Amino acid sequence: MKKLKRFDIILIGFLLFASLVLFTVFGTIKRKGKRVVIKQNDTVVYSGELSKDGEVSLKHNTVKIENGEVFMKSADCKNQICVKTGKISKSGETIICLPNKVIVEIE
Amino acid sequence: MSSKQSDSGNRIKSLTVYSLLCAFCIVCGYIEFLIPTAAIAPGVKLGISNSVALVLLIKGDIKGAFAVNITRILLSALLFGSPFSLLFSFCAGVISTVVCAVLIKMPKLSPIGVSVAGAVCHNTVQIAIASFIFGKGVWFYLPVLILSGVICGTAIGLLGIVLTEKIKSDF
Repeated sequence: MKKLKRFDIILIGFLLFASLVLFTVFGTIKRKGKRVVIKQNDTVVYSGELSKDGEVSLKHNTVKIENGEVFMKSADCKNQICVKTGKISKSGETIICLPNKVIVEIE
Repeated sequence: MSSKQSDSGNRIKSLTVYSLLCAFCIVCGYIEFLIPTAAIAPGVKLGISNSVALVLLIKGDIKGAFAVNITRILLSALLFGSPFSLLFSFCAGVISTVVCAVLIKMPKLSPIGVSVAGAVCHNTVQIAIASFIFGKGVWFYLPVLILSGVICGTAIGLLGIVLTEKIKSDF
């Protein structure tokens, strides 16, 4: 059963590698979010472009948009989970501050 | 006179064989058309009919491979497809057959590699045509199609080798 030759393996290996690379590359491009939506108590309090830098101050939280990434700059809650979530930039990602009922979502 | 007779006999024979092969391809194509793959990867087909062209190429019948492939593509489109699908399958079919016909001459490549190259070429050409019609977004589907091309190409390559071993006679 010596059917596969060396160049077959090289060709197949190259193609598998190429598809893997494209998967990763396209995966990151595709999921790049466009808009930032901030909700408090289920009502939208802010909606804006992800590419536009800025700071949104809420009653208990401060959300910062910088270089296409969003993070919770500060929160007055005890657990600080939202602050520790770090930066988000991809579509569907969220930062949630449960004590203050704030949801930052990327669309 | 007798040589002329045997000549026309050969022509009739090869016409019959190629016609049968085309018919076989079209039936294979129809069966694949009925198998839904939409859930896993939309538009992906195994392409069993390509094994026919591959066997012809392995046997050195490049003309025959082109004849069968082009005929089956035209007839399949006429029977089950649309002018739209014809554009896709015709361009992709012709280009991938050319690629296979060139690569089959390479001693360092087995029919499996040839088949894989053909399958990936076919899928890439289809994506390229689709991108002209639907826009650049379709390129996102390329990695899936490369992967499926490798898998299906390997399968068809193996099938082609086995078939060539089983079919001793020349066409």
